[in-house]
Amino acid sequence: MTVSSPEAPTRPHPLSDRLPEGAGEGITSCADGHTELTVDRSRILDVLKTLRDDDSTRCNLLADICAVDYPDRDARFEVVYHLAGIESGERVRVRVPVTEDDPVVPSAYGVFKAADWFEREAYDMMGIRFDGHPNLKRILTHEAFVGHPLRKDYDPAQRWLLTENETMAPKWVEETPEGNLDFEPQVLNIGPSHPATHGTLRTIARLDGEVIVRAECEIGYLHRCFEKMSETHGWNQVIPYTDRLNYCSSHINGAGYALAVEKMLGIEAPPRAQAIHVILSELSRVMDHAVCLGAMLVDIGALTNFWYFFQTREQIYGLLESCAGGRLTVSYARIGGLAHDVPADFHDHVRKLLADIPKFIDDVEKLVTANKIFRDRAENVGIVSAEEAVAWGWTGPCLRASGVPYDIRKALPYHGYEQYDFEVPVATTGDTYARYLVRIEEMRQSLRIIDQALTTLPDGPVITDNHRVALPPKEKVFTEMEALIWHFKLIYEGIKVPAGHAYSCTEGGNGELGYYLVSDGGGKPYRIKVRPPCFAIYQAFPHILEGHMVPDAIAIQSSLNIIAGELDR
Amino acid sequence: MRQPDGSSTLLTTRVETMLGWVRKNSLWPLPFGTACCAIEFMSVVSSHYDLARFGAEVVRFSPRQADLMIVAGTITDKMAPVVKRVYDQMAEPKYVVSMGACACTGGFYRAYHVVQGVDEFIPVDVYVPGCPPTPEALMHGILKLQEMIQNGETQYDRLKSRSADTAASPV
Amino acid sequence: MSSVPTVNVDRPPENLAERTYLIPIFKGLGVTLRHFLRNLFGQKDIATIQYPETKRQYSERLRGKHILTTKEDGSLRCVACYMCETACPAECIHIVAEEDPEATVEWEKKPAVYEIDLLRCVFCGYCVDACPKEAIIMSREHEMAFVTREEAIVGIEDLRQKGPIEDEDLGYRPYY
Repeated sequence: MTVSSPEAPTRPHPLSDRLPEGAGEGITSCADGHTELTVDRSRILDVLKTLRDDDSTRCNLLADICAVDYPDRDARFEVVYHLAGIESGERVRVRVPVTEDDPVVPSAYGVFKAADWFEREAYDMMGIRFDGHPNLKRILTHEAFVGHPLRKDYDPAQRWLLTENETMAPKWVEETPEGNLDFEPQVLNIGPSHPATHGTLRTIARLDGEVIVRAECEIGYLHRCFEKMSETHGWNQVIPYTDRLNYCSSHINGAGYALAVEKMLGIEAPPRAQAIHVILSELSRVMDHAVCLGAMLVDIGALTNFWYFFQTREQIYGLLESCAGGRLTVSYARIGGLAHDVPADFHDHVRKLLADIPKFIDDVEKLVTANKIFRDRAENVGIVSAEEAVAWGWTGPCLRASGVPYDIRKALPYHGYEQYDFEVPVATTGDTYARYLVRIEEMRQSLRIIDQALTTLPDGPVITDNHRVALPPKEKVFTEMEALIWHFKLIYEGIKVPAGHAYSCTEGGNGELGYYLVSDGGGKPYRIKVRPPCFAIYQAFPHILEGHMVPDAIAIQSSLNIIAGELDR
Repeated sequence: MRQPDGSSTLLTTRVETMLGWVRKNSLWPLPFGTACCAIEFMSVVSSHYDLARFGAEVVRFSPRQADLMIVAGTITDKMAPVVKRVYDQMAEPKYVVSMGACACTGGFYRAYHVVQGVDEFIPVDVYVPGCPPTPEALMHGILKLQEMIQNGETQYDRLKSRSADTAASPV
Repeated sequence: MSSVPTVNVDRPPENLAERTYLIPIFKGLGVTLRHFLRNLFGQKDIATIQYPETKRQYSERLRGKHILTTKEDGSLRCVACYMCETACPAECIHIVAEEDPEATVEWEKKPAVYEIDLLRCVFCGYCVDACPKEAIIMSREHEMAFVTREEAIVGIEDLRQKGPIEDEDLGYRPYY
């Protein structure tokens, strides 16, 4: 069963009457839950507006824009838009074919502000130009880079050296604003060598006194070419790379990727594997929030909490290391389930963690939550309203702190999350204090989920027995010929994922972590696009900063939890 | 500290030993943390492992105030000029520990934007393997560096003796 | 979406006690003082591990330095099938095969050169998963530091099993 095979169209799709004339042909429902349509670039803006505003779809969140290179086709590139409706639950994929000699598409920035950096990335990686984009420059690669790296004819190892970094100043730095000639505006460079916690993010801010008047963010300092590396390695070999995406909660990335590939293969991981995925993902989420809040408090000036939260992390590391062999980068997930079963003392170990972790969270809360200094630093700082947040494509704790109760674990449950009883923390103020409170409560809710998952942990295998997908158990490989042959075929040729494409999302530590996979039927992925949650969050940062002071900028940046491994991939 | 012919007197060897002892026990690290290894570095300075026991209490983010640069994480071509500048701004004697596979050799990122080892443009004293290295591995690396400082085997010492040689025998 | 069970975490505005700041100070000092006194007088419970005198005991699944296992007669189990080299995402294993003069059906070839670049290795364990002969496993040795890059490319002599398998500090391997 291929993922993108259309259902036999017996009658036109209900969406086709609502779309502009002619755009409604060929709408299909895909097996990954998306409604898919292919649109010509001249109508793309109308289609996006209709999908956003029409009552039947109300797709108000732009999840992702990416480009895929099909050198064999006439229209070489395809720009793919993924839209989501927060209240309606609709998911739509719009594909726009673009030719090589005229790779221009109208920019969707006017319809969704979230298109800002996604379009810049498509320009950087594939060379698609977006007409009407306010600032179409390279975003991930450096300014001396030549070529568009994700094109199929680009050699993965071709590097370009950047010798000088000081020319990377945006044009508005040179401009002198009119008005008061007695004062000269100061331009301050915050980063990219920023104290340990968030190294590699750069903000260029024009200051009026200590107030930031205008800002621009520069990213790409940790662009490690995950997407190109995934095209040169087998489906299972990508899993260590996914660990290094959001390295503070590495298991979630691997579990999400394995889920995406399993959807394309049409298989499911066994129930025991799914429950263990839930337990380890929730522990990873606790770890992620711990380091985010610890680092945020250090940036504001409260150092003690950092040590307390790192104790929590050390305890969780002990568990992850006993299961998988690695502390931080676990590589525990495999396509079809888990690499191997959990150790015998898993139950007791997790129970002990569930008893110890709340003590550290309580300690930090006693120190910080009612503290007047922290409240003065964090309240009313970096306020983002719910409409703004959705327009910018925010998801995760930052969106929930602005009042929108959107959580993928509740909206599109996976790995059995529907059987667990937990609440989604929401705040209404949308400032840094709210983001802090939401994360603290999410840690407690995660512990609740782990408790339930552990109590109902089923027995059974931890990986599928489909030997086209998962390595056979070692005892059989050492003794049986057939198992040895499956083993050889899987290692040398890789998993043969049927041709097609699918988008699958899970709730990462920062929000919707999406994987758009394209397969050509071979043992290596044709294209993997990761939809990183903090990419959408960080693109709003320069706009939030205006009117705030420099110390507030630091507090806001750390409350957004920008992990460069995920942001730059 | 050396005589023009390269030998050293008793007094200067004693001074060198003392200098080595002093320098190795008060290394002030500049954690140039970019990626996952930075998180493991944070674990090393946390209460469980505590690098402060070896004299590295103050973690200085300003290169003017640090003498040990720990490159923790992948260095990309975009970040490379920044690393070079920060390294140049450090005052001598300065040492570099390259932590993790990415900083040592580029790791498994044989890619278009990743520097294949930070020793492409700065001299490295100790390479610590691992992805990320366990905190004990990093501490083992720092202890090894301390030994090297005591024995005068670091890149800084080699540079110093080379310039002393060229000064001693002008051609 | 109104059916999503939510919990509102908004805090009320500060009351008088919080605004004067004294009570939260004392609460906070109480927390830190408790940790301080516990560490001062309960030396055994202290969180810090005194490395290098004490070392933390890692689990039996830690992915550390590799070991090339040997048969009873001391020769390597490795048959140079290149599975580990293919499975390695970092391409850090380099094998050159040669004919084994004492070849049997089960052990046909052997490696003339088997090198792992420990500075490229990401210690993911895929080589151990890929090996059909249990010829490569991982130990718990994770403390390695090198002075040059060439030093880190280890060959058969460095990797092979040194003594009886029970004496090795075993980490990640197929059976548990």
